[in-house]
Amino acid sequence: MKPRPATLVTGLTILGLFVLIALLAPVIAPYDPIFQDAAARLQPPSFVHLFGTDNFGRDILSRVLHGARIDLQIALIGVAFPFVIGTVIGALAGFFGGLVDAILMRLIDIILAFPFLVLMLSIIAILGPGLTSFYIAMALVGWVSYARLIRAQILVLKNSDYAMAAVSLGFSRMRILFRHLLPNAVAGSLVFSMSDAVLVLLSGAAISYLGLGVQPPLAEWGVMVAEGQSFVTQAWWITLFPGLSIVVLAFGFSMVGDALGELMGVNE
Amino acid sequence: MTDAPLQLSIRDLTVTVEEKTGARTLLDRVSLDLAKGEVLGLVGESGSGKSLFCRALVGLLPSQSLRLAQGTVLLDGEDIAKASPEALQAIRGARIGMIFQNPTSHLDPVMRIGDQIVEGVAFHQGLNRMEAKAAALEIMRQVGFTDPPRQFGNYAHEFSGGMRQRAMIAIALACNPEILIADEPTTALDVTIQAQILDLLLDLRKTRGLSIILITHDLGVVAQTCDRIAVMRHGRLIEIGEKRTILKNPREDYTRTLIASHPSMPAETAPAAALTQEPSTIKLRPLVEIDDLHVRFPVGGGLLSRRKTFSAVGGVSLQILPGETVGIVGESGSGKSTLARAMLGLTPLSDGHVTFDGHSLSLKRAETLKALRSQAAMVFQDPYNSLNPRLTIGETLSEVLRVQKKVPDAAIPARVEALLDLVELDRSFAGRKPRSLSGGQCQRAGIARALAVEPRLIVADECIAALDVTIQAQIVALLRKLVSTMDLTLVFIAHDLAVVRALCQRVVVMHHGRIVEEGPSETVFANPREAYTAALIAAIPDFDPDRPLSGRSLPLPPLKGQPA
Amino acid sequence: MHRYRFILTRPLQFLPVIFGVSIITFVLVRLIPGDPARVLLGARATPSAIANVRAQFGLDEPIWAQYFYFLQNLLKGEMGKSITYKIDVLPLIATRIEPTLALVFSSVLLSVLIAVPMAALAARNRGRPVDHLVRILSTFGIGFPPFWVALMLILLLAIAFPVLPVSGYGSTLGDKLVHLILPSVTIALSLSTVLMRSLRAAMVEWLKSDVATAARARGMPESIVFWRHVLPNAVAPTINLLAVNIGWLIGGTVVVESVFAIPGMGQLLVRAIFARDYMVVQGVAMVFACATVLVNFLADIATVAADPRVKL
Repeated sequence: MKPRPATLVTGLTILGLFVLIALLAPVIAPYDPIFQDAAARLQPPSFVHLFGTDNFGRDILSRVLHGARIDLQIALIGVAFPFVIGTVIGALAGFFGGLVDAILMRLIDIILAFPFLVLMLSIIAILGPGLTSFYIAMALVGWVSYARLIRAQILVLKNSDYAMAAVSLGFSRMRILFRHLLPNAVAGSLVFSMSDAVLVLLSGAAISYLGLGVQPPLAEWGVMVAEGQSFVTQAWWITLFPGLSIVVLAFGFSMVGDALGELMGVNE
Repeated sequence: MTDAPLQLSIRDLTVTVEEKTGARTLLDRVSLDLAKGEVLGLVGESGSGKSLFCRALVGLLPSQSLRLAQGTVLLDGEDIAKASPEALQAIRGARIGMIFQNPTSHLDPVMRIGDQIVEGVAFHQGLNRMEAKAAALEIMRQVGFTDPPRQFGNYAHEFSGGMRQRAMIAIALACNPEILIADEPTTALDVTIQAQILDLLLDLRKTRGLSIILITHDLGVVAQTCDRIAVMRHGRLIEIGEKRTILKNPREDYTRTLIASHPSMPAETAPAAALTQEPSTIKLRPLVEIDDLHVRFPVGGGLLSRRKTFSAVGGVSLQILPGETVGIVGESGSGKSTLARAMLGLTPLSDGHVTFDGHSLSLKRAETLKALRSQAAMVFQDPYNSLNPRLTIGETLSEVLRVQKKVPDAAIPARVEALLDLVELDRSFAGRKPRSLSGGQCQRAGIARALAVEPRLIVADECIAALDVTIQAQIVALLRKLVSTMDLTLVFIAHDLAVVRALCQRVVVMHHGRIVEEGPSETVFANPREAYTAALIAAIPDFDPDRPLSGRSLPLPPLKGQPA
Repeated sequence: MHRYRFILTRPLQFLPVIFGVSIITFVLVRLIPGDPARVLLGARATPSAIANVRAQFGLDEPIWAQYFYFLQNLLKGEMGKSITYKIDVLPLIATRIEPTLALVFSSVLLSVLIAVPMAALAARNRGRPVDHLVRILSTFGIGFPPFWVALMLILLLAIAFPVLPVSGYGSTLGDKLVHLILPSVTIALSLSTVLMRSLRAAMVEWLKSDVATAARARGMPESIVFWRHVLPNAVAPTINLLAVNIGWLIGGTVVVESVFAIPGMGQLLVRAIFARDYMVVQGVAMVFACATVLVNFLADIATVAADPRVKL
């Protein structure tokens, strides 16, 4: 399939837009996101409050804009740590094999035996609710997928003719692993990291929705959905807009992932 | 054949592809006739359009951007070029059947072989399940299945390559076609199996009155099986005629090149014997000495089942003298590649000794590996997979030079250019990546990388197997030049005996992980001592159209190998 | 039939995994700062209850001995008492398995029923508008947060079709099924897009494959090419994908059960976390982990059945 730049451009535009919103939120938000206006409770969307207000009279638009800062941060940090940890562990395990590899693979099997969210919740239950707990849990659990992916790639590439050629030419093991194998192996992880960003974003929002992540009154989209839940039939705008924001941001990540996959010829 | 009625008559068949820049012609007004019961050989190198031509005949263009722009295809006098998709579908299989190069990818992996035959029988002949199964079993017998009732229920992956090709022929026959198009049907097979499959096709022509179009890149195959030969190049049919006429008096230069490139033709210049610089009576210390080498690989086995091993090389002893050119031949699975890797310390030895320049790999491993890495290099089969796809040719070469430290850093760019000159690549190739090179250019880059080591020994593992014949001839010529000018020792591994005969002074024949015969090329090829070697040589498709095809009569040699 | 021999031997390989799972759950709870007995029993525990737990779990002994007691109790089916429900953890979980199982099953069924026809429609009309629509839908669908989709469905139905129950589980079979409709639609909307994507990709691959070309070359109509050769080959990798996603699916049920107030294991887990009922957290995590291992085992069997080349 030919790479379609349109997908990449759309995806990058969406992501760029959210980054911009996150950076400029304090400037472009019409109101203070946690200011409670008792006189303007549960206002439907209007020219004064474009996205309406919630039951405390807070401006939904301002909260959605400020939420971009937290949710983008969740996706980025929640992917970055597992990516780096998993890539290093997976590459070393796959390349050197042996006992360390065997033990790591068993550990990965065990971690994968737990449903992702269940293990996350259990760790958060112990660390106590909050965003820091979420990041720690993410780093403890999320590296597994990257390690498996890289390890499998390294195992294939290790037996490739050009790895064999590199050995026969007297290259050192570190040179072979980091210069010849890893750059070719990492393409798949890069594509995966985009769909992983979607997963992390949804998990972060879900955990916050359940009340175990970001704590009110901070504006985060999952928290906002939870706050609007009791009013969903009377004041739909409280839940609709933060949810839509998640969907659109996730769509941006997916588009970039799709485009990268096509460009690099990687099938997930 | 001229008196037989015409079965297929194609005129001016043209296929174009729609591109942004406009339509490009892939097949340019191809015309040919096929008589009833005739075998027509369609010869050409990759990209000549020979496969596309056959697919265009039955309306199976591989992409939607391709279009049959003009031309007629008369099947028994009726034009099918403009037939509706439904009409074409009724013709495919039932009147024109096809078999393909790679049976492994063309057979449905999750459907039993028997069911795939039954499918065709039931669909095209309208038989019920019981009748269709009986018919399928009969067809399986015809194409050489030894135990059809049992093999009916097997899946494709449970058969050998040769049997898979028989299965594909059976599936084609199940539709009871009048014309069979065979697209490189034996290219993926060992030479002894190739002979059997060709024999089967000729047999079917006789018993079923099939007309056959045999597509191949191997002139040897057509010489021994076809009535007429058509040569294609760049989408055009450049020459067609009786096979004897074409082989003896080709009209076109390109056909002459093709014939000259065929390895079974004695090369005009320096035959292998001329390469022997010195009489071997001079006592030289062997560069490589292999003594009772065993290489075993673990297969399967797990927690509960006992570890099993597969013996890839079982007790091989061999000496290679400096400056020698040694060919190692054998069919797939004979252990020749494993031997090559063991020789270079690239695979663990299970037993025995490998000595390089006096260093023993099993006794002083580190020291020997150091010597091997700086004095020996390997050239691989697949030129694309053996070069790091992310690096340019220049980067690849300079990295080797930097690691090997035989050239001062400042001299590296000049050395890279010298290497490219040596393998006859333009210097601009230093800035290109493997993907943008042709197979032959890529293989030259692979050879340049090997030369960057300044090796005494080069091991070339099937290094021309993936290339077109004219390119093969060029690479062989390059290797011959390098060996004669650079004081190199070359171990040349191939399944193609004819190439080995043309290039190597000495030949080693391997079978099931053992050496069954070795000696000077001339002697071995002229007077093989072992039945297996004789069978291998006999199975090479030869240019001589009058030599019979030896397939069925192939004696399967006892492993101990009594003299024939 | 020796390809199926792994059904007998594979469960032995589960033992180390289950063993590891027990270590992790044990360590997780022991990591909580403070007196483990107080952690496990809550702030208002009576001294006698604390003494009981200390004895049962050997809390005064070194950590490895504690793990040994933990394992011993586990084998006896004792995972301690829930501090909120005042009953043993295992029977408590047992009462919560059925709704979760029913939800998972109906979601998977619904997802397959949506994904297969949609993927087939898209793959067979590759490049046409319907294909683009399916692709965009699946790219969007993956990013739909289940908790939000659930609320939007409630909102939509409250306006359009106010008969369906939006919370709880019911007691009779029919009642339960009706209560499951909205939750399973919520999960299926996400899960089916994942399946749809992979199935479509596999189908497109196989439609272009040599197997399909060979079938066309022998005059098979496109419908036979698709249903008899393409679909069976495309299904095998999707089974694996379903198994890989089972963990993710269970995560989805945890959230969806909370939204729709379904008394399943997910809701139990979330409430236990809030109530600091660690015995229950530990128990639910273990049961979920064992279930995941079991599902992967079933998927292996299905894969072997779908693809004769696979050997395990």
